[in-house]
Order: sequence, then structure tokens, then C-alpha cells
Amino acid sequence: MSTKTKDTGEQITAALIGNPNVGKTEIFNRLTGLSQRVGNFPGVTVEKKGGRFIHQGQVVDVVDLPGTYSLTAKALDELVARDFIVEEKPNVVVDIVDGTSLERNLYLTFLLMELDANLVIALNRWDLVKARKINVDLDRLSELLGAPIVATVATTGEGLEDLKSSIIKVAHDQKKSKAILDYGNDVEAGIKSISAVLNEKPDLLKRYPPRWLAIKLIERDERVLEKANSMFSGLQMAKILEVIGYE
Amino acid sequence: MSEFSEDLSVVLAQKRYERISEIIGSTVKKDGGSVRTYTDMLDRVFLNKYLGIPIFLTLLWVMFQFSFTVSEPFVVLVEKLFEFLSHLVEQNVTDPYLTSFISTGVIGGLGSVLVFVPPIFALFLALSILEDSGYMARAAFVMDRFMYRLGLHGRSFIPLMIGFGCNVPAIMAARSLDNEKDRMITILVSPLMSCSARLPVYVLIAGAVFGSAQAGTAIFFIYALGIVLVVLAAQLFRKILFKGEQSPFVLELPTYAMPNAKSALLHMWMRGKMFLKKAGTIIFGTAIIVWFLSVHPWEATAGGQLIAESYIAWMGHALEPVFKPFGWDWMTAVALLFGIVAKEVVVGTYGVLLGVDEGTLGDSLVANGMFTPLTGLAFMAFVLIYVPCFAVLATIVRETNSLRWPAFEVIFQVALAFLVSGLIIGVGRMMGMS
Amino acid sequence: MNSGGSISGGSLPLAFLPEGAKATVSDIQGEKSIVGHLADMGFTPSARIMILKSCPPGAMLVWVKEARIALGRGMAMQILVNEIEEL
Repeated sequence: MSTKTKDTGEQITAALIGNPNVGKTEIFNRLTGLSQRVGNFPGVTVEKKGGRFIHQGQVVDVVDLPGTYSLTAKALDELVARDFIVEEKPNVVVDIVDGTSLERNLYLTFLLMELDANLVIALNRWDLVKARKINVDLDRLSELLGAPIVATVATTGEGLEDLKSSIIKVAHDQKKSKAILDYGNDVEAGIKSISAVLNEKPDLLKRYPPRWLAIKLIERDERVLEKANSMFSGLQMAKILEVIGYE
Repeated sequence: MSEFSEDLSVVLAQKRYERISEIIGSTVKKDGGSVRTYTDMLDRVFLNKYLGIPIFLTLLWVMFQFSFTVSEPFVVLVEKLFEFLSHLVEQNVTDPYLTSFISTGVIGGLGSVLVFVPPIFALFLALSILEDSGYMARAAFVMDRFMYRLGLHGRSFIPLMIGFGCNVPAIMAARSLDNEKDRMITILVSPLMSCSARLPVYVLIAGAVFGSAQAGTAIFFIYALGIVLVVLAAQLFRKILFKGEQSPFVLELPTYAMPNAKSALLHMWMRGKMFLKKAGTIIFGTAIIVWFLSVHPWEATAGGQLIAESYIAWMGHALEPVFKPFGWDWMTAVALLFGIVAKEVVVGTYGVLLGVDEGTLGDSLVANGMFTPLTGLAFMAFVLIYVPCFAVLATIVRETNSLRWPAFEVIFQVALAFLVSGLIIGVGRMMGMS
Repeated sequence: MNSGGSISGGSLPLAFLPEGAKATVSDIQGEKSIVGHLADMGFTPSARIMILKSCPPGAMLVWVKEARIALGRGMAMQILVNEIEEL
């Protein structure tokens, strides 16, 4: 577990995530080079790659999370990625997005925002974006998403230095104003009711993003339900289950 | 089962996509109409109804050809290096025990294995290039038709392909299958994919008994046999062990990308490293043990010269009755025994037993009359099937988190090996061959 | 929570559409985990899709949310769509 700090002497951990086939591996390779080591996430048969880079005198540990489309409890690699972000709390989460396929790639970005991750978005395949004459207003996009965006071309290394700088900057800034997505009256009402119960356990809320917990409970996420069961009293669980419509 | 648009996860997904659409609408502008991309153009060819599969098979063949021709100069280099080292030792080391240990044990055993490292790395490189370019997903798509009929999941295609290089990363790649049943079946049939470790054995035996003209055909037959067995085993497992529906095939086809040399090489290195570790530790250790058992008792074997008096010969003779019906002698029994550790060791063991180095091993086998075309073919089939090597067994233990499955795998494969080899011999004898 | 409409007339399994056809998603039948996964991938109500390739009895290739997704035939039978003229 890395500590969040403003000292440039301390270590920063950055987790890489993104859809499969967006060039995440390439970016990981370029960031960590031969320092990379392969292992397993604890207790599961999911590969964990780690490495490091040094930039502006700062050491950054990089963890390559499995490439996934989503962060549900239903697939092992998604769960592993999610657990890493939620439990290990890396200083920065680098979301690698394929610039030629934004519509789908941003889905994961939204999930990461819900997780309260400190995001840096790497918009990869920038060369293809330009070649196809696609015009992306990076500033506006960054504003709407509430996270810095760096255009990268993993195959040539373009943008990688800026990415490193951005990672370090975000690790130090620690501001977390993320765009919140309104899920509509019904769902938002449910979130409010559940949050009321969640508030009875403040230490839980310190460990996990409150809104994310509520959303997961409403989605009946198996893992989160399990955790809730072990943390809440029978009465509290009953209230929660009532909101989410469980028999 | 829930009503689609009432399912909350669907509602949330929809809301997210709606917002994404809004955001993209205000930040992304596409000049010009939808551009016909390279990906679409390439897919017209690679996914073509009629061309798709022939193209895939051709690429597969090219991949293997590439691996062997590109690695050839390196193989020669390694051979020469070990030859040189061997002579160096013989000339400079006076103690016969030490000489025997280094020259025959270390260099002979390990050398005859490292000689095959170049083709394996080349194969991994070819696989990396195919993966990084985005083609692999197309191959999986094109083969889905057959995979489904064969009881295999479309996504187990890539892991099985990797199995041609080495079963260890193939089994690990099975993790990409979310459905546990599909994953288990893929893991359990992987060892039947003829990995590159078995190739040295095929090359040696086929070269010796079939001559260079027909050796290729014999080897191709063995590979085909392997694939047939994978299919049959998959169907068997699905019907008996893992009953149930196959999980749905959903796979994204990425845009094609020019594979990056650095990336592909790194990818190759990471995979090849696994294999190197295996060669470095397990096989080397085994080569030493084989050497040890073959020169002791030291006096009886007259300083390692009379292998027939060694412990290893004793073990081989003890096993000989089991293999007699197949026309194999005690040396083969010993080679098979040690091949359990790692299949490449079969070659190394012969090297030690016959006291010759890799280059002339084939001739030695012929000269000693150890194999006929029929028994040679049956032997190749036996090596293909008979047991997963230690590294693979260790991987299966890790990936299945149990000892039950590796044990099952061993029993299953040994039984199958005897069955198939027996069939080959039986049919051959009926046809009047010896 | 939206009360979803029942499957309207005109919906047919994705598997029956020919190459080049365009459609919107109307329903997905099946296990909750699969429905959720497909929704995450972009198969949400009214999502626009286009058939890129259809190789019966093998997989289908579908264009959805700017990506090419291969679907097994079984899957394609479980996704119900309404054909449309233009994307």
C-alpha cells in the first residue's frame, strides 16, 4: 500500500487499466521496459505485471491490471482489477483509451470515476485519430470527464513523457472532483436510501467510495453484498435488501 | 432471467452510454464520412467465407516454417559451441570422473536440449507477431465453426495454438476463458497439443527410420494425430466430466496494427524465459541424474564406458517387459522414464546412453537397429501422448489448485498412450509390417 | 426503474439478419451475467448495430459502439433486434 504524499521522495503507485487491445501492454512496456516482472495477483490465477519508471527524480511503480471492459464481480479478472483499485488504492489510475473507439472505451472510464479513482486518461492511437481526420477537443473532453487527458501513440512512444508527467502531477494533486452521473430518479432515490444505511458505518465509508458502494448494492453485486453482510447487522441488511428489492 | 430493460445493470449501462454519447457529441467531430479502414479491408480477406480457413492454415504452416528456418543458423551455432566446449574439457581435465561429468553429463545432456531453444523462441516470436497484429482473433473467429462442433470453445483456440510452442503458457492462457468448464477442458486437453519439446524426439526418430524425404510426412502425421486426439478428448470430457452448455462466444476483434518489433521481441522473451527456466533447472537436473545413474557403479561401468552395467540399464531392463510388445528396448524404456521430467530429455538420454553427441545420434539409432519405421512411428505417438512433463504438471497443479486433476491427467494420458501406440503397432503388424 | 415494454412485433434474433443489415437492440434473453456483460459491451436497449459478417453456423461479426464484436451463433440467437434502414 502506497501512501499519498506531497513529497517527491515517496513512492507513487500507478495502475494501468483499459479495454483489451487498446495498446495498454505497449504503454506498459514503454513505461517500465526491462524492469518489468511477472507474477500473480495474490491467491488467484491472474497474471500481475509490475515495473517502474523514474521521471523528474520521482520513482513510480507501475502495476498492469488485466484488460477488461467492465468491473463486475462476475469475471475473475474484472474482480481482480477492481479489488486492486479499491483495496490497494494506487495513487493514480491510468485509463488507457483507444482514441478510434471512444464510445466504448469511455464506458470503463465512467466505471473508474464511480470508483473514485485518481484518473489520468491516455488517449492512445492518436496517430490513427489524426489519420482518420477525427477531430477531438481534448480540453473540453478533459473538462467533461474531470480528468487530465494525454494523447499518446504507444507504437512510437509519442506522448509518453507527457503521460509520465501527468501521472506524477495527479499523484501529488489529490483533487477528486469527478463528474457525477445522474442515473435517473428511481435509481438515485434508491442510492439515497441505501446511503442512509451506509452512513451508519462511517469507517466503511472511509475505506470505500460511498456512492460506488450504493450503486453496487443496487446492482446486487455479489462481492459487495457479501461484504455488506459481514459488516452490517441483520436489521441494517434487511433495510438495504428492502431497497434493492430482494426477497 | 429478467426482463432486459428492467434489469438494473442494463439500465445503468444504458445511462452511462447515453452520457458518453452526449459527451462525444460535443467533443468529437468526424470530418468526412466513415472512412474505409484498413481493418475492414483486411477483414474482407481474412474473414472471407471461403478464404478464411485456407488462409489460416497457410499462416500456421508459414509460422512453423519460419520458426525452423530462422532458427537454423542459431542451432548450428549452439551445436558448434558445445562441441568446442566438450573438446576443451577432454583435453584439459585430467580426472576421468570430472571429465565424464562435464563432457557427457553437463554438456552432452544439456547441450542436446539447448540446441532446440532457437526454434522455440522463434515460434514464440511468430506467435507474438500474430497476436500483436490482431490476426489471432480473426483466426479464432474463422475457426469458431469447427471449434464449436468439436466441443471446444472458440476462445480456447488461442491457448491451444500457443500449445504448439509450449504447453505451459498454453495452460496459463486458458485463464482467458471465463467459464470454468471451458477453461478446465482446455487445460486438460492442452498437453495433447504437440509442443516444441517433443519435436526433437520426432526429428530424431523420424530422421533415423524414415530418412529425410519422408520424415516430414511422419512428423506431420504425429501433429495431426495430436489435433485429432485433442478434439476427441475435448468431446469426451465435455460429455462425461463437464456436462453443460458451452459458455457464449463473445470476442472483440481489435483493429489491425503493425506489430512493433520491440514489443514482439519482449513478448517472445517473457514467454521464452519460462521455457528457459525449465531447461535450466528441471532438464539440467535430470540430465545430471541420468548421467549419474548411467556411470554408476563406477567400477562396473569401467569409468562410464560400459553403460550396460549401470543402474540405468538395470532400471531399463526392469521396465523392458512392459515395452517389449511394442518392439522397444530397455534404452527406450529409460529414455521414456526420464522423459517424464521433460520431453526433451528423451533425446538427451539417448545421447548419454549411446555415448554420442547430438549430431550423430540419429545414425547411432539406426546402426543399433533400435527402431523400425513401424515401431518408430508408434514410439513417436507414445511420446506425443504419454504424460505431461513436470513443468506442465506443476502448471496444472497451480491452475486448478488441486492435485486431483494432474493425477487424473497422468493416468489418462498414460492409458491413452498405450492404447494408441498399441493400435498403431497392431494395425501395422496386420498389414505385414514389423 | 423503467418498466420495460414487452417484446414488440418485428423483433427477431440477431442471428437471422444478413450481412450489411442494420438494427437496434430490443431485448436480450438469457442468464443475468451474460445480459449484463453484453450491456457493458454496448448491447443496451436501442443500441445501434450493423452486421459485418455472418458465417452460419459459425460466429457473427457485429459493429456496435465503434467496435467489432464476434458473437457465437448461440449468443446471436438470444439477442433480439429490430431492423432499421439507416444507422
